Amino acid sequence: MRTLRIVLMIVVALLVASPAPPAAAQGVTADEIKIGALGALTGPGYLYGRLIMNGAEVVYNEVNKAGGVNGRKIVLVREDDRCDAASAIAAAKKLIFQHQVFMLHGGGCSNASIAARPEIEKANIPWVVFASVADEVTLPTAPYIFSTALAASIESAAQLEFALQRGAKKVAVISMRDAWGRARYNPLMETFKRKGVTPVADEEMSPDANDATPQVLRLRQANPDAVMIVLYPKAAAVYMRDAAKLGFKPLQIGQSALGDLLAFRDQVAIPNALERFYTISHVRYTPDDPEMERWRGLLEKYFPGDRMSVYNIMGIASANVVVEVLKRAGRDLTRDRVRDELNKLKDFNTNIYPGVITCTPTDHQCHKTPAFMQLTGDKVKTVGVTTVTR
Amino acid sequence: MPALAGRRNVFALAGLALLVLPALANPYILYVANIALIYVILAVGLNLLLGYAGQFAFANAALFGIGAYATGLFQVRLGLPFWIAFPAAVLFTTLIGLLVALPALRLSGLYLALVTLAFAQLTQWLMLNWERVTFGAGGFKVPPLTFGWVPPALGLYYLSLLLAGLLVAGAWNTVRSGIGRALVAVRDSEVAAEALAIDLARYKAIAFSLSALYAGVAGGLYSAILSFVAPEGFDLFQMVVQFSMVVVGGLGSVWGSVLGAGLLVGLQEALRAFKGGQEIAFGLVLMACIVFLPDGIISLVKRRARGWEEPLRAPDRRA
Amino acid sequence: MLPYLLVSGLTTGSLYALVAMGLVVVYKATTVVNFAHGELFMVGGFLAYTFHVLLKLGYVVSLVLAVAAALVLGLVTERLAYRPLMRAPAISVVLAAVGFSFVLKGAARQIWGGLGDYIPFPPLVATPAITMGGLIIVPQQLVVLAGALVCMGIFTVFFTSTRAGKMMQATAENAKAARLVGIRVERVYAFTWGVGAATGAAAAVLMAPLTFVYPDVGSPLLVKAFAAAVLGGFGSLPGAVLGGFSIGLIENLAGGYINTSFTDISAFLVIMLVLIVRPTGFFGPRAVRRI
Repeated sequence: MRTLRIVLMIVVALLVASPAPPAAAQGVTADEIKIGALGALTGPGYLYGRLIMNGAEVVYNEVNKAGGVNGRKIVLVREDDRCDAASAIAAAKKLIFQHQVFMLHGGGCSNASIAARPEIEKANIPWVVFASVADEVTLPTAPYIFSTALAASIESAAQLEFALQRGAKKVAVISMRDAWGRARYNPLMETFKRKGVTPVADEEMSPDANDATPQVLRLRQANPDAVMIVLYPKAAAVYMRDAAKLGFKPLQIGQSALGDLLAFRDQVAIPNALERFYTISHVRYTPDDPEMERWRGLLEKYFPGDRMSVYNIMGIASANVVVEVLKRAGRDLTRDRVRDELNKLKDFNTNIYPGVITCTPTDHQCHKTPAFMQLTGDKVKTVGVTTVTR
Repeated sequence: MPALAGRRNVFALAGLALLVLPALANPYILYVANIALIYVILAVGLNLLLGYAGQFAFANAALFGIGAYATGLFQVRLGLPFWIAFPAAVLFTTLIGLLVALPALRLSGLYLALVTLAFAQLTQWLMLNWERVTFGAGGFKVPPLTFGWVPPALGLYYLSLLLAGLLVAGAWNTVRSGIGRALVAVRDSEVAAEALAIDLARYKAIAFSLSALYAGVAGGLYSAILSFVAPEGFDLFQMVVQFSMVVVGGLGSVWGSVLGAGLLVGLQEALRAFKGGQEIAFGLVLMACIVFLPDGIISLVKRRARGWEEPLRAPDRRA
Repeated sequence: MLPYLLVSGLTTGSLYALVAMGLVVVYKATTVVNFAHGELFMVGGFLAYTFHVLLKLGYVVSLVLAVAAALVLGLVTERLAYRPLMRAPAISVVLAAVGFSFVLKGAARQIWGGLGDYIPFPPLVATPAITMGGLIIVPQQLVVLAGALVCMGIFTVFFTSTRAGKMMQATAENAKAARLVGIRVERVYAFTWGVGAATGAAAAVLMAPLTFVYPDVGSPLLVKAFAAAVLGGFGSLPGAVLGGFSIGLIENLAGGYINTSFTDISAFLVIMLVLIVRPTGFFGPRAVRRI
């Protein structure tokens, strides 16, 4: 009985006490800045986690070689969110409370980022999102959360507007039903409504599907002028392959998941199948562009065995933004100063994103310029850059 | 004379440690401990079905998901408070578990595995497609659970600890009762069980409903700790993790499942140090545990310490 | 629409059939389902890619090397995940195989994951699509279909007419009795797992131009292949092929006529119905209860 009373007293004492909040300059020492990278390292989501982090790390390594940011080297600490809500919360907590990082640079799978967001918000830690596209990751605007990824609503609106500008009257949609797909599909439907257009067909495909014949047949029946493609590269390649096979040739509009046109051409593997295919790219270049030569060499040096992909380029571009902001925040580095510099970031040119990066205190969606690309022969050409405000 | 390292002492010590953990741990450790408690509930429930009743069913991860979705949706769609939504969701999940028992009456082995696998796929499909009810692939946020003046993380932790304690005690009592013996009879030989006037249908239904009940409780707590419900956490990988907890702990042992759940959650966190190599490390550890300890970790404990006896534990070895 | 859907149903179905056959071969001798088969398949594909595209060896040479490597990997799987667990309950073997599949998938992701998202593989014949009476078929699909039928033919002959095949069946029926008549049971098991993995690798190479090569290609195919094998009664190779074709046809017909959202789930709904009516699948033996 006495033991029980002691135990109960301890429990009550614990309930009354509460843990102290982390210090403002946590994660910063005299010569180091610790940045936490949150994203998928394992599982299929690793494309939007590990590969992007690899690109970012190349930038950080080069900055460190040149002396660091205001005398401090950047240390990137990676944690795996496994593209899963529970693991994302664990990873965020580990980065914040155990590794005690200064800021976060990451965010791949949207559901994982959405689940981790309340935790990150509570900690008042700056977070630059590099890949998550769902609007709920950055909306409602949180003081310390900013995004350099093109939001889903921006791309979806751009896709439809592009098709309408090219004279399409009947527009159809083919999408995937996972979290990424829905994050794009829902804003796409809203854009349809805003423009007063109804999709003439709305088909669905599984991310691992090896055949798209039912989808192509049903789309063909509706005879659209343009098809909005909200699919990952495998499904999109299978779709384009079967579309070519069945002689279905409307305007095909993709989005940034299909941003590497040369890789996509190799995946579709049917000559001239991409004749009427336009896609959005998150970044201005593909891995084979001469402008990417230096980065390609560095990536393959730091990560032997890897081959540069558009995912790496996304990481490189985003890391350039982070480095710039850290530089501007100065030697007296605090989280609030980083937040303030991000809020002030205007017309920053990374030379990799199609447009400039601009954040304002009310709009933390800093990347608003999708570029449309097309493959003509062996050359990828930019067909237009638009700016879309959410 | 109670053994020094016997079960009673070890779990008393563990219970005490869990009670005072919040004072010593940072929020990350507290979160992991809370997740471990949820998985203890899941593993103990699954063991009743897999280890005691011998039903190789793939439905548990889906039922876990149904528990989480029901708890969340009753709050978000119907406006019910958590303390009503949670028990209602547990009841709902138990009834679905009962439904899953129906095919089990006619099927066994691979065919039962396939039908329950189909059920799991169907549940995933509904979570993704029935958007009007489930919000679809993007999931939905659940209003955060508050406990008055107690910090929410702490309150949820103690709630999980309480429920885990009650449910483990419940399972322990069940396996030592007539129900437990009947389940073991069903597992070891259905024909012999029937010859002993054990109603197969009744006991299979009990096994499925009990595991569903546990999964429902675990699911409700899970939705509360994440404040978010989405289809990803309830897929086949999740099913593999749950099976692993039961088998690594010790098939057919309540305390084995408790150990297995705690260890595997801890392992998944400890393996984070391997970064991209986590999948490899986890696979190796899983294989090593199963090959070197085919009767589970609990068998190691039983060999070394006294006071860990359990009734009618060992499932049939294959000839 | 119907003819197109039927053709694509058969070509997709042959993918599932080819993967299912590797599962059934192992089951026929050991009565165990090899849940590492999806990843053995995937690794076979990556190895062939490494040999053919990265090391620039010829197509046939790469195929042979990949199949040989997979055979060795199958032997390793048997040694690690099956032999130590012969007396353990079925779930232990399943989990050990699943553990090994994580190891393989993780290793593949670490080694090859940085090469790109879905890696294309050159087809056996690079001719454009063939038109047969209004129906268009990609040649590689014919290769896969032919591969599935040839594989089934080879295995059927093997099991019914060769000594090795009969030894495998004998071992599955009663290992003790097999040992008594002098069959080297351990060798049979090892050989079977090797052959199953080798079949998986061959399947991967044939299918890679259609499915692409990536670390996660095995898992969704394994689930469908498992379903196909069970539908076919899981001891029967022709059954697995028919099961595969059935699932492919159901998916395409449901997707084409009802709704494309149904493609993935239609097969499982049908399976649930079938198993309720015929608990041992289309071609399975009548349920015999061992007392």
